[in-house]
Amino acid sequence: MPETSDSVTSGVQWAWLAPAFCVAAFTVIAVLGRFLPRQGAHLSVLAILGGFVLFWYVLREFLVIGGGIYKVDWFSVGDVTLTWGIVVDELTVVMLGLVTFVALAVQVYSLSYMKDQPGPFGWYFAVHSLFAAAMLTLILADNFLLLYIAWELVGLCSYLLIGFWYERRSAAEAAKKAFVTTRIGDVGLLIGMLLLFNETGTFDIAAIIHVAEQGAISDGTLTAALLLIFLGAMGKSAQFPLHVWLPDAMEGPTPVSALIHAATMVVAGVFLVARVFPLFVLSPDAMLVVAIVGLVTALIAAAMALVMTDLKRVLAYSTISHLGFMMLALGAGGYTAAIFHLVAHAFAKALLFLGAGSVTHGTDKTDIRDMGGLRTKMPLTFITFGIGALALAGIPPLGGFFSKDEILVAVLDGRNPIFFLLTLVAVLMSALYMARVFFLVFYGSLKRDNDGAHESPLLMVLPLAVLAALALTAGLLAPGWTSDYQGFGAWLFYDEPHPYKVNVLVMALSVALAVGGFALGWAMYTRGDAAPETTRGRRRGGQRREQDAYVQHPIPARLQRQFSGLHAIVVNKFYIDDLYQWGIDRVALAFANFMALFDRIVVNDTAVNGTGDSVRRSGRTLRYIETGKVYNYALGMAVGLVVVALIWWLALPYV
Amino acid sequence: MTVTLLHFQVLAAALFSIGIYGVLARRSAVLILLALELMLNAVNINLIAYAAYMEPVRATGQVIAIFVITVAAAEVGLAMAIILRLFRNRTSVDVDEVDIMKW
Repeated sequence: MPETSDSVTSGVQWAWLAPAFCVAAFTVIAVLGRFLPRQGAHLSVLAILGGFVLFWYVLREFLVIGGGIYKVDWFSVGDVTLTWGIVVDELTVVMLGLVTFVALAVQVYSLSYMKDQPGPFGWYFAVHSLFAAAMLTLILADNFLLLYIAWELVGLCSYLLIGFWYERRSAAEAAKKAFVTTRIGDVGLLIGMLLLFNETGTFDIAAIIHVAEQGAISDGTLTAALLLIFLGAMGKSAQFPLHVWLPDAMEGPTPVSALIHAATMVVAGVFLVARVFPLFVLSPDAMLVVAIVGLVTALIAAAMALVMTDLKRVLAYSTISHLGFMMLALGAGGYTAAIFHLVAHAFAKALLFLGAGSVTHGTDKTDIRDMGGLRTKMPLTFITFGIGALALAGIPPLGGFFSKDEILVAVLDGRNPIFFLLTLVAVLMSALYMARVFFLVFYGSLKRDNDGAHESPLLMVLPLAVLAALALTAGLLAPGWTSDYQGFGAWLFYDEPHPYKVNVLVMALSVALAVGGFALGWAMYTRGDAAPETTRGRRRGGQRREQDAYVQHPIPARLQRQFSGLHAIVVNKFYIDDLYQWGIDRVALAFANFMALFDRIVVNDTAVNGTGDSVRRSGRTLRYIETGKVYNYALGMAVGLVVVALIWWLALPYV
Repeated sequence: MTVTLLHFQVLAAALFSIGIYGVLARRSAVLILLALELMLNAVNINLIAYAAYMEPVRATGQVIAIFVITVAAAEVGLAMAIILRLFRNRTSVDVDEVDIMKW
């Protein structure tokens, strides 16, 4: 069992302070917020800034001295001692930097964005703090129990933030949907975790991995436990078929979407699989399931992103698709590729969401059909959003290019060619939908009612610029530059380091598909833009017709007509939501109604009230045998005495 | 003839039986009360006889018998009060007629 390895005291043990800052900020804002200027929002930013500064200290200490596991006892029950502990390794450090940075950017952005939004300003930041604290605890946790606590807290905070505007029915419904859907996965995680505890007698992840590597857990049990844990990851990371909550989660404030989609909620699942990756390696079946689920998710989500018309929804499906990529990479054994993609995607996606928020802020629109030509009105948003889109599409040399490349290599190495081909399809779609969104929003002619669009304030543009810079440069981490740094893969790896090397075929394919996809998008969505169509429609009907973006662009319009059946299926999200709705209405609620009826008739009327009624009825009948004559009672007593005496007398010899 | 414990037991049993008969057979509340006294005294005889024969030194039986006599006196006082009230109300102490508390 790997114990504390502090032969040299490393400063990384202070990493626990990062979540502690955020918890403190949450407590102060929640309790005293109303007495503080601006409801204490700055405290929250200050706390996460502290976490971010701490990250640099931890990074330095980690690189110079090294990491380790640090724990204190919590309590003992029988032979089991539960601990609070943190583990600091490469994965933790990467995630620590990512979470603190993106949370910081989002909170700074929110200071401006949320100022004129409805809802309690201070509470918003308090929950943001709690969210950051939960996520930081999740990535630091060295045992399943602490991880699970943080896991549930993340779920709670996402519920609170998605439903921040809870007075709006759709927001409340979306929050409920997110919570319930992820709960399904959480139950899996809990059972899987207890299964492993049952096998090993400990929650300590390192110890469990150690035991499993000795082969002390039977293959069947291990696979079952891992699949259950993966179910938890599927819920949190919105993998098919539990992906339905994420697009609806767009009901929350836009910065929340950025936070949930980039740095916290959804990467928790990928992180979990990465954390227990040594266990997954021991079970090829579980790995295969992870890869298949990832691939299916990547494909169907990309398809849906191609046809959605709500700006944030397109980004949401894009997120799901990319989470699918990460899971696929993990399932193919590409541990490094998955984590690298997680980081690269986080920067790009946070940037895109904050950019989308900026667009909404400037135009008060969320539907991309109502946008267009915004590049002159919002130049900074245009440039930064463009960088994000290019990075996500995988255009070299941006972040997404390198990470996507790594995933393709991993899939090619680890899985059969069908996986590889389907991944290429998803890559192409990824570039295409990013191009679609980008060109529809920023190119083409300006809609008349967007004349008043304006650039967002500095406090919102600043995080955009910083994130854009990171999205531009994140990819440079991938290759090795000096003899000390052989590339990301030589630093964060499973089993053995693999320095960066170029697979020319894969790279050529990847570039061709990304550039091709983006160019295709340009060809499809910038040509034949017909603002007159809109005006004509307005003039003719007096009122704007409900029309699709495709109508303005000849190629997509023709495609949509040609494949109208397919289009209907995809636009309706493959009817998965409808299927669930049917299941809830017709199966779950029907069963619940039956049970309610059973409860009312059998349990309540028969068992509970029935007992009382029968006693009352028998009493009403039996009371007539009472005479009220004293000698009757006296005789009864005398006879009883005789009977007792007789029994005693007869039984006494045998006692 | 030596008087043994058995004689006392027989005497007590006889007294007790007469008492039970009295309680069950009489109609008058006063006579029932008298019969009750007989039963109490039967118990007292038993207590003292056992104490004297089985454990002469500690006299526990005698003490309890005195206690029973005290309680019996209180009981008679209470019962006679009830019977007097009954007589005032119904001009009769026949327990057969006292059955209004049944349901």
